[in-house]
Amino acid sequence: MNPTEEELQIQLNEPLKRVGAFSVLVRMYQERLYWHIRKMILSHDDSNDVLQNTFMKAWNGLDGFRGESKLSTWLYRIATNETLTFLTNKRLRNISSMDDVEDVLLQNLRADSYFNGTEIQMKLQEAILTLPEKQRLVFNMKYFEDITYEQMEAVLGTSVGALKASYHHAVKKIEKFFADED
Amino acid sequence: MNSQTNRMKDNKHISLDEIGKELPFCVPDNYFNQFAIQIDEQIGYKSVTTKKFLKPWMYMAAMFVGVLLMGQVFYTVYQNNTTKNAENYELYVLSQVDETSLMDYYVDESVK
Repeated sequence: MNPTEEELQIQLNEPLKRVGAFSVLVRMYQERLYWHIRKMILSHDDSNDVLQNTFMKAWNGLDGFRGESKLSTWLYRIATNETLTFLTNKRLRNISSMDDVEDVLLQNLRADSYFNGTEIQMKLQEAILTLPEKQRLVFNMKYFEDITYEQMEAVLGTSVGALKASYHHAVKKIEKFFADED
Repeated sequence: MNSQTNRMKDNKHISLDEIGKELPFCVPDNYFNQFAIQIDEQIGYKSVTTKKFLKPWMYMAAMFVGVLLMGQVFYTVYQNNTTKNAENYELYVLSQVDETSLMDYYVDESVK
């Protein structure tokens, strides 16, 4: 049986139990964090790299985690930062190219052997990629993960009101995308 | 999903509700297990798996079998040497006694 977040946090503070507790933490959160990252980056291989960076950042930063937020919130925050950093670096590397990063992500998704969706699901991903990065993040967290606005506020540091507005705009843009496609 | 694809081909409006919230992605087989093991290695965590737990027992069993085999070899060599020594001693004694004395010995023994 998995320990609770609180139990895990206590074990992570004990030097002799730290490594074992972190191993449990990886098994508890790896899937949720992977899908959080994957929805933004789309490619499996890149998501795998970002997930590894996320856990290694968490491992190296354990001493800095004072428990002001929940363990899961802290991990989500690291994963989000790592994802945004990855996308920024990709954008910088891609600066001389004619295609923007979103086009590259879409091309990678079309070629990715780990995409098993339908044509309409591919269209939805295309529509999501037209959104600004932060709006895309909010849409993915709310639409696919059904994370509450309060939890999102803790992770992203944006007010609940702003998050609701952001999600509303995102939905409108996606609906417009589909309407324009007709 | 097929009906949605057909509707898309027919240029009919598709809403978000109809597409659903299922993610269209997958991962390689056993990906998450492998990933966790990889992180364990990076942080230097050695889990006590059954395989690792069995290892000392396997070593001990191998040592025990080895000791038994060695014992068998030594015992066989020792037995051979003891038999040979007895035969050699008998031959040596016989070589030191002349035939007449030997005959006298056997005659005396039979008289008794």
